[in-house]
Amino acid sequence: METHYVSEADFIKLLSWLENRGDLYVASREDDQVSIKPFGEVGEFTYPGVRAYQPLKPLFFSLLEEVAEYPTEEEALREIKPFSILGAASCDIRAIEALDHVFLEGQFKDPFYEERRRKSLIIGFDCTEPLETCFCVIMGNNPYPEKNFDLNLSKIEGGYVVEVGSEKGKEVVEANKEIFKPATENHLSQRDAIRSSVKATVEKQSKEFKPSGAWREILAKAFDDSAWARNVETCVECAACLFICPTCQCFLLYDERAGDRYKRLRMWDACAYKNFAKVAGGANPRPHLVERFRHRYYHKLDYFPKNYGFEACTGCGRCIVACPGKIDMRKVLKEVCKS
Amino acid sequence: MRIETLVPTVARVEEIRQETPDIRSLRLVFEDEDFKSDFAFKPGQFCLISVLGVGEAVFCIASPPQWEDFIEVSVKEVGKVTSAIHDLEIGAKVGFRGPYGNWFPFEENFGRSIVFVGGGIGLAPLRPLIWQTLSKRDRFRDVYLIYGARSVADLVYKDDLKEWSSRDDIRFTKTVDPGGEDETWDGEVGLVPQILEKVSPPSDSVLITCGPPIMIKFVLLSANKLGFRPGDVITTLEMKMKCGVGTCGRCNIGNKYVCRHGPVFTLEEMEKLPNEF
Repeated sequence: METHYVSEADFIKLLSWLENRGDLYVASREDDQVSIKPFGEVGEFTYPGVRAYQPLKPLFFSLLEEVAEYPTEEEALREIKPFSILGAASCDIRAIEALDHVFLEGQFKDPFYEERRRKSLIIGFDCTEPLETCFCVIMGNNPYPEKNFDLNLSKIEGGYVVEVGSEKGKEVVEANKEIFKPATENHLSQRDAIRSSVKATVEKQSKEFKPSGAWREILAKAFDDSAWARNVETCVECAACLFICPTCQCFLLYDERAGDRYKRLRMWDACAYKNFAKVAGGANPRPHLVERFRHRYYHKLDYFPKNYGFEACTGCGRCIVACPGKIDMRKVLKEVCKS
Repeated sequence: MRIETLVPTVARVEEIRQETPDIRSLRLVFEDEDFKSDFAFKPGQFCLISVLGVGEAVFCIASPPQWEDFIEVSVKEVGKVTSAIHDLEIGAKVGFRGPYGNWFPFEENFGRSIVFVGGGIGLAPLRPLIWQTLSKRDRFRDVYLIYGARSVADLVYKDDLKEWSSRDDIRFTKTVDPGGEDETWDGEVGLVPQILEKVSPPSDSVLITCGPPIMIKFVLLSANKLGFRPGDVITTLEMKMKCGVGTCGRCNIGNKYVCRHGPVFTLEEMEKLPNEF
């Protein structure tokens, strides 16, 4: 892939170009926490070092939105403006890849998602300060993005190595030629050294959780494992793990009256809730909490890979941080692996 | 911009039949002429019916494709949406989305015997296929139908049942659960799986079943006992659905979305899924 070097001073010029392109969201560090914020609120860019506490999915798949109005011939016009994300971690870029499969594949394409994807510019970055809950390396991922970004930044001394990952990314370079300098061997070896060292850190903390083989094969034998029941004990069915998950995309639809018309609204939902799949007649495919708890693991690591060829868990660790019951996905899987 | 797939088209209720104390069939005619003329479906596919402002629920299309001017759905009153549907009167407007999902094999089974096994309102998804099969009757060998309900009052499509009883090209056995018979009852008394075993159709037939989950479970066991191949035993699953197009996650069983990969599955396919239906 095409690589360039941009100095920190020149990078500021790119920020104003991005602001002109449309809305700009940046991963911004405040004390120990990184969050995605509109650039106007923070006014500067500091290299985030690690993923934001919230996933990127709300930018592509809104928590609540009107998806149709009927009966009417008119289309409710909603302009989706171009936007850029500066500071997408590798795990979050992988999550967008998973959402792409769900919303853009097959006979049904979600036009809202498609439009937002078309108008988005995703600038990734290499993690330099992984959290202790990070485990991307055991989910077939690395703490640095390798595909599915438009541009990717790797922090090195005095500036960034910028990798171009798409035509859209190429256009950014073309439009800002003066700030993109050739990346030298030295720049690239600095980048590679940092990458190896960060990867080694994540590998070290994930070592005890490393699976003995493919997740699918492990789970194929674990459906009735007692580890599910043991670990669900502290679950309070809050579904925080699902709402914070960058790849979870279940939703509900409901109608609201608006004069003589009806608005159809779509809202995030979660398969952990008892009545999620319960039918009016009373049947429920997963009536017990443990079944719904297990369903999440199987969906991420067995069902989704069967359909799309890779895990729908990116190893971001947000579910571990969010859980009030101190359930740690890595530990649950470790127990499952053991038996 | 709007999500076209999620926007219902308007259908008018043209006829209402009270099938049983808690099941009504609605005959629906599409208001939009273009939609009506383009509309095509195959037996086994489902649709979403909405009562404006109340909500949407999933129903199988219960009439065969050759009845071209309308479709029928049968609705058991169990929850909010189905109660609102039961309150509708002739001339009322409902929302319609569909058809969605896969369908029963038809041409694939030419030359074979077909065994339909239904229970209660589970006859609804089989009904279009039964009529379709009878419309091409010479393409099939023997056609069996075993249909039962809790009681005589709970049998649906009484006119259809009468016609099927009188025809000699379909071997129709009707049954009610013990205690559900009345003094006029001239059918069997016994649970559907037991009657299936009693009728004992040839095991090289294709068996297509739908009914309450517990009945399906035992029909599958009986089919196995009678020697049917799992690939020749077909059922249709009902799950809660919101979107109908494989994204909302609600009907997900194993790696399948019942709305998109189903609702029609063979026993062979179901055996590969977690036992959550």
